[in-house]
Amino acid sequence: MRTEPGILATFDEPAAAARAIRVLRERGIRDLHAGLPAPFPEVVAALAKPRSAIDYVTLPGALLGLVLGVLFPVLTSLSWPLVTGGKEIVSLPAFVVIIFEVTVLFGSIANLIAVTVRSFLGGGTGAFPRGERFNADRIGLFAAGGGEEAERVCREAGAREVRRVA
Amino acid sequence: MSTAGAAVDTAARFRKIEDTVRATHGKPGAAYWIALAVSASVFAFGAWAYSLIVRTGLHWTGLRRPGMWGNLITDFVFWVGIAHSGTLISAILFLFRARFRTAVYRVSEMMTVFAVLTAGLYPVLHLGRPWFAYWLFPYPNERSLWVNFRSPLIWDVFAVSTYLTVSAIFLVVGMAPDFAALRDRAEGWRRRLYATLSFGWRGTDEQWRHYTRAYLFFAAFATPLVVSVHSVVSWDFAASVLPGWHSTLFPPYFVAGAILSGVAMVITILVPLRKAFHLEDLITQRHVDMLARLVMLTSAIITYSYATEILLSLPQPATDPERSTFIYRMTGPYAPLFWAMVTFNCVGPLLLYWKKVRESAAALLTVCVAVNVGMWLERFNIIVTSLAHDRLPFDWRVYTPTWVEWAITFGAFGWFFMLFLIGLKIFPSVSISEMKEEAAHEAHQAALEAGHAH
Repeated sequence: MRTEPGILATFDEPAAAARAIRVLRERGIRDLHAGLPAPFPEVVAALAKPRSAIDYVTLPGALLGLVLGVLFPVLTSLSWPLVTGGKEIVSLPAFVVIIFEVTVLFGSIANLIAVTVRSFLGGGTGAFPRGERFNADRIGLFAAGGGEEAERVCREAGAREVRRVA
Repeated sequence: MSTAGAAVDTAARFRKIEDTVRATHGKPGAAYWIALAVSASVFAFGAWAYSLIVRTGLHWTGLRRPGMWGNLITDFVFWVGIAHSGTLISAILFLFRARFRTAVYRVSEMMTVFAVLTAGLYPVLHLGRPWFAYWLFPYPNERSLWVNFRSPLIWDVFAVSTYLTVSAIFLVVGMAPDFAALRDRAEGWRRRLYATLSFGWRGTDEQWRHYTRAYLFFAAFATPLVVSVHSVVSWDFAASVLPGWHSTLFPPYFVAGAILSGVAMVITILVPLRKAFHLEDLITQRHVDMLARLVMLTSAIITYSYATEILLSLPQPATDPERSTFIYRMTGPYAPLFWAMVTFNCVGPLLLYWKKVRESAAALLTVCVAVNVGMWLERFNIIVTSLAHDRLPFDWRVYTPTWVEWAITFGAFGWFFMLFLIGLKIFPSVSISEMKEEAAHEAHQAALEAGHAH
């Protein structure tokens, strides 16, 4: 849970929250965190945070699946070399389906692990003070270290409620 | 409308979306309990009928040489097909940014998972010794025996199990933000369940940043999977040399058929669902209309596939086995089923050309139920007529399903609808977060048009 002071503003409209974020960033207040009931593109764009690096887990997972997808049918076919259907012992065209499916399976599982660690478990802690949640009908904006100026910006942008948190 | 007014409207709209979805989890009425009791009873009867096969063998079925695949494999292909539209609507339309998917994709995804769970039963059900079904999976054993990776049946095992896993992950991960929204106002066991399934979701921008990226990847993985799974199922047939099966047309033909049957099933479920749960504000006539157009489109592809198969075989010499099989399908003992299939899958959907038909719940439901029947008949026609009329004339024999096979076939429908009805009372049947995103987008557009937004 976040303990540093700042201001917590709530908005009814994503466009208003995005306006406040843009102005706050222009004025040098950049430690901003939003709580959103949905991934409103204008708010996400205004926050200008870097793209998620989840790719670096998903892609290696898929590549691992690709390698295992090749090795598994090849090695098991070689360990019991029985000709069936007039096909080669190592029939790569026939293994393409297995290779594809295992690639997708491992890629998806790696993606699941990545989203669980980075988003579900990692992304929810510490962003907002006092365990505030914004899953319903409001958009929350926490400006860490924000003072009177941040408060004024949020009000001018159309915040429904602005309060200081210690 | 003032900007403040628009803001209040947006927040009110958010609340309304959440309340409407939450209302679907309310105390069920008599109709719900009757539907659940009927589904569970049909399933229980099917399970009991299947227990006869387990206890005393496959003689309860109509399977005799050469028709060793009958209703049970027809059911398998049918249910895999039904499972397709969910991922089509949720993943492919997501990648294409088709906005109309938002209101209907959750129901489609639920349908996908339950349909794969149904389809997955059949490879086991049709085995003579189902207790050895685990032999289908590669596992280390004392004799160092491995499965035959060159067999399309093993491709099926990998394709269907991967599809089930990825679809289930896609569904559960997609629901996490909605479970969080429901959790915050739920009580008792629901609160505990939703708290678990929301995986600690708080809706922070940090969570959304990773989540939206991961969701994109899930969609990207699921999209080729949709195409692959029914292509693989079609290779169960196409990789053989049986007339009527051995065709390069099969993969696209099967995929188009799967989408047709799946979308028809989505409509079959959505039309009564939106009325019973008062979801008309979220799942609008426009959404249903777009799905009906998709039925028309895929029906045209299917009609083209039927025509291609027939028109390519008819000019062949009279001794050609392929030609013989198609003439047998159209004029033999299974001809009524063939022509019913053509009527339901090719002619029926043409009625959707008329807006009045698309707008009438009863007419739309009739066309879509007929498509579902037609698609089941299509699989029956492909599987049964080809086997009944193979390359050896002395072997020809008409297969007729027994009451036990029919009980299992209908039992699967009972199982599917039972799961669906239970799922409706637990899962959010419409994506709350994406509907809120849509609502905000619409409000912003309206404000822009009114010249109020900045």
